[in-house]
Amino acid sequence: MNGRTSRQDRALGADLWFSLPAPLCLMTLLMPPFRQAAPISPAEPIKQAYSLALYMQKNTSTLLQTYLQYQGSPFSDPGFSAPELQLSSLPPAAVSFKTWHALEDAERLGRAQEAFLALTQHLQLVGDDQIDLNPGSPILLAQLGAARLRAQGLLGNMAAIMTALGLPVPPEEDTLGLVPFGASAFERKCRGYVVTREYGHWTDRAVRDLALLKAKYSA
Amino acid sequence: MAAPARRQPTFLLVLLSLGMGQLKGLSEPLSVNPDSLEFAINLTYQRFSLLWSVRGLLDHQEIQMNFQIQISRINESNVIWTGNYITTVKSKESVHWSWESELPLECATHFVRIRSQVDDAQFPELRSWSKWTSWKEIRVLKPLSPGQTFSLFPKDNLVEAGSNMTVCYVSRSHGSEIACFLETEEIHEEEALTPHVTVFTLRNVSFLRPTGTNMHCRQKSTNELKGGLVIYVSKILEDPKNFSCETQDLKTLNCTWDPVAVTAPVNLHPSKRVQPPESYALYESFSQETRVCEHNTWCTWQVAEDSQDEYNFTLRLQNIFRERSVNLAFNLTHRVHPRPPFNFFLESVNSTNARVSWKVYPLRKPSTLLCRVECLQDEHVMEQQVNVSIGMQGEYLLSGLEPDTQYLARVCCAYGNHLWKWSDWVGQRFTTLDVAPSAPDMWRTVDPVPGGYNVTLYWKLLPKDHPRRKVLFYNITVENLDESTSTLLSVPATHSDTAVALSHSTYRISVTATSRGGTSPASALVVSGDSGDEKVEEERVVGTAEGILLSWKPRSGDAEGYVVEWYEQALGPLHGLQWKKLGPKTTHTVISPDAFRPGIRYNFRIYELSTKLMAFLLEKKTGYYQELVPLVNPQVTVEKMNAHSFTLSWKDYSTESQHGFIRGYYVYLKPKMQHCTQEYKKVALTDNSSYCKYKINDPEQKTFVVKHLQPQSVYEFFVTPFTSVGEGPNGTFMAITTTEQYSKELLRDQMLLRVLLPMGFCAALLVVIFYMKIQWMKQRCYPDIPDPYKSSILSLIKSKQSSNLTLLSPQDCTPDAIEVVHKLEGSKTQLTQKSVPKTELPLSASPQLADQSPSGGRACICFENLTYNQQVPEPCSCGHSPVPPTTQAHPLGLFSSLENIWKDYMTSLGEVPAGETGVNYVSQLTSPVSGGKDGLPIDPLVVEQCSEYKIQMVVPLGAPSSPHTEDRSLSSSAP
Repeated sequence: MNGRTSRQDRALGADLWFSLPAPLCLMTLLMPPFRQAAPISPAEPIKQAYSLALYMQKNTSTLLQTYLQYQGSPFSDPGFSAPELQLSSLPPAAVSFKTWHALEDAERLGRAQEAFLALTQHLQLVGDDQIDLNPGSPILLAQLGAARLRAQGLLGNMAAIMTALGLPVPPEEDTLGLVPFGASAFERKCRGYVVTREYGHWTDRAVRDLALLKAKYSA
Repeated sequence: MAAPARRQPTFLLVLLSLGMGQLKGLSEPLSVNPDSLEFAINLTYQRFSLLWSVRGLLDHQEIQMNFQIQISRINESNVIWTGNYITTVKSKESVHWSWESELPLECATHFVRIRSQVDDAQFPELRSWSKWTSWKEIRVLKPLSPGQTFSLFPKDNLVEAGSNMTVCYVSRSHGSEIACFLETEEIHEEEALTPHVTVFTLRNVSFLRPTGTNMHCRQKSTNELKGGLVIYVSKILEDPKNFSCETQDLKTLNCTWDPVAVTAPVNLHPSKRVQPPESYALYESFSQETRVCEHNTWCTWQVAEDSQDEYNFTLRLQNIFRERSVNLAFNLTHRVHPRPPFNFFLESVNSTNARVSWKVYPLRKPSTLLCRVECLQDEHVMEQQVNVSIGMQGEYLLSGLEPDTQYLARVCCAYGNHLWKWSDWVGQRFTTLDVAPSAPDMWRTVDPVPGGYNVTLYWKLLPKDHPRRKVLFYNITVENLDESTSTLLSVPATHSDTAVALSHSTYRISVTATSRGGTSPASALVVSGDSGDEKVEEERVVGTAEGILLSWKPRSGDAEGYVVEWYEQALGPLHGLQWKKLGPKTTHTVISPDAFRPGIRYNFRIYELSTKLMAFLLEKKTGYYQELVPLVNPQVTVEKMNAHSFTLSWKDYSTESQHGFIRGYYVYLKPKMQHCTQEYKKVALTDNSSYCKYKINDPEQKTFVVKHLQPQSVYEFFVTPFTSVGEGPNGTFMAITTTEQYSKELLRDQMLLRVLLPMGFCAALLVVIFYMKIQWMKQRCYPDIPDPYKSSILSLIKSKQSSNLTLLSPQDCTPDAIEVVHKLEGSKTQLTQKSVPKTELPLSASPQLADQSPSGGRACICFENLTYNQQVPEPCSCGHSPVPPTTQAHPLGLFSSLENIWKDYMTSLGEVPAGETGVNYVSQLTSPVSGGKDGLPIDPLVVEQCSEYKIQMVVPLGAPSSPHTEDRSLSSSAP
């Protein structure tokens, strides 16, 4: 009886996913995803996570361009790129294909989980920085807030996948650690650049990760 | 730069006296030195603070000292600044001093040392300098964090626009490998302070945006972003503008000013140098009180109770870079701007008066207020304005108002002792009561019609009634004075004219206007059919700047008055008739220019009103207030053109409907030659050409003969009228070409002479020649009998024919009878046969066209006389086909000539003796008809012999005649 109800819920949820607008979908994702006690198929959460990652992927470029536009030169210069800028508190998304392809499910999901956890915290930090640096930019602040919300949604979906796969869900950690509050305005602009850039890279990688899992666990 | 020590003069004096006593009591000289030099770095403001104590002071001793401070950079020997700091030093108190570095402290190590001297008049012997303290190294520890290879300083600095700023960077690599940019512009003014420290000086920094200006540096080789900083630029603080203070009640001052532009950039991180929003403070110098203003545009100040009248305010505005201030000194009573009155009421409103009352708010002192009462109509028209001095309340009677009119009554007040500003207005609308209007101003036009006359009445309200008075309707009374009958018409208030048809009687017409306030007095006129218009000559008038002056001669000495009416001539009196009534003693008037338009012709009529209110036409005038040049030029036609003149005509041009009196015309002529005849005036054009100008002074002369022209020449002409102002518009010249020397008539005559006469002569000559030719032909072809053989044709035939052709010789013939063949008509031939007297013989004598023959032979003309045609071989058979004589054609001209010849021939026959007429003779012109021997066989060989004259041959007697013979008339018979 319980199992049938659970299947109905999942079917209903699957139906609603495509018909509901994105904000409502995000709200559903932010809710406690699934009960631990009910083993479920990983295909559905993978599918949902994949859809969300695809949706996120469409907006990462806009977020980065909007961010750079508000920071002034050299950030707003055409074709600006500074790959040398990195944040030690943010794991890089770049990985060799061989290594990436050989990753186990747990490690694959764990790295993504770790990255998006760090990204949510960093996006919060960047949003706070921009309130100081560019107080008259509600568009940028809204996009940063939306990106953080989506990253949190993807985190929830990944937790659901890991639960479905019987993998342990890593606890939320303070990946940001000690924040250099005394960072200069230019350093904060650079920090925001790295965060928005890596958010895009990690979203691209998550799409690939989830596509791989989707193919693997599709019925 | 230096923080001054707090001074307490009284306490210092006591201490100094104590100190002096102590110093004097000492056997050894006092040694006062700086000691325990410490420092603290504030990187936000790029300054370091020095703190030291003074050794050698006694307890509670206070002494003024001069400290000399030396600052070196990078190394001790590189002294960059030396300065003195004089302050009062107390025992057991440290001395504090700070120094702000232009160069960011992170980029260089600084060294500082101090020495001192007692700068106190009480201890002149101690003025010598102490020893320098040892150099104190001031260095920012670890400008580069671990792992960091590059850093720019100062971070997030705030500078004022237009100032200079020193920027430096510390790099682990060599400075020459770094390129730095201010926004997108590369900075070139760099100076290597050390191998790893480079300094830039940014001059005249400008404000770009509130969020700061970026500066960044890149590795030249890799274009790698090494680092950067944000410079926050503050706009230069401006002076407050329009600073002003005033009071409404002498209790509170309200000071206002225009806000200055915000200079502070965005909020920086609290740890950085923050510029707060501009702060305003109000300082009053007499009371020495200061009030920090909460708002950035106004501030209030409570007036002191102690009757302070004079105030000197200073509005101070400052940010972290500079302070601005403006001063304002005034007497309080000169800045009173009272509040608007209240309790404003209107009382006792009637048709012409209204009473207003109001109250004012009390001031701190008993004062007099000056109030202004206004009464306005239609929001803008100022009717009345009066100033009233009042205490706490006031009232005023508005008088002279118009009945039934809406007004706005309002009042405002100002401080009576010193007028500075009026209060805002307080007002109320009201409408006066209505009264009856004045008698309308009436006039009329009279148009006689069969059986009577039509009278058109016009009326208008007097200026004082119009347009305020609301007339409900007009009543018109038409009273027949001859029959003592009357008619009443009621006309709506929107009308100002009406027409009535009257018979041949005298009428008294009156008009009244009725409003809610009553009915006006009547305005009356007496009209009759005879206006006398035809008896008065029309004169011309011309206006001046003051208008049009009209004068007249009175008709009688007891006139009731005079009326001048006028209207546009083009529109007639029924459209826009205007009039002006004048008093009885008036002989002239000036109609103001407002009534006229330039270039419009007006007709004026001046009437005298008798005591019986009957109008008699005195004078008629017409004219312009302001003449203009003619609007159009006439359409000119060219008439009577010949070689030396032509006539220009513009008879259709109307001189009456122009923009001025047409005084005449100018005829412009562009001559072929560059000279004009005497009657023309030569006028030069700008293009070095010229034309001839002729002036016609008679406006009714609408033709002009242009004379003295040259034949076959092009002339251009142009005709334009002129008024007193000038001539008509520029137009195009019309071109015309004069004719040749001789006109068409002459040409026609010459044609007659030159062509027709020679033609006649030639025709006569041709007739003569032709006649002669005929004679020649006759001689050649058929000479007169009795010598027909003399024909040259015959001789020619003879040469060709055989000898079997026999000529009939007269000697061989035995004349039997002679019949004369007579031709009745051109188309008929007659044949006379000797054997049958008076019997007609058919004779074909006309040339026959060979192709009319059935044989279809070649077209030829044969002359054949069958009278001589015997049984002889036919040398020529020329179509002897049985063709009816009626089908024979006659070449008219030739045949008529032949007829003449025939007549001659017949005449000659008549002269022939009877004995010689035994041979039948048939004219050679006739041709044989069919029948009998006429049907001769056609010899093809002989056909070629046509066009020959066939010799006359003997015709046997008794030859059968043609059946057609009977149809022929006998022209003559043998005797």
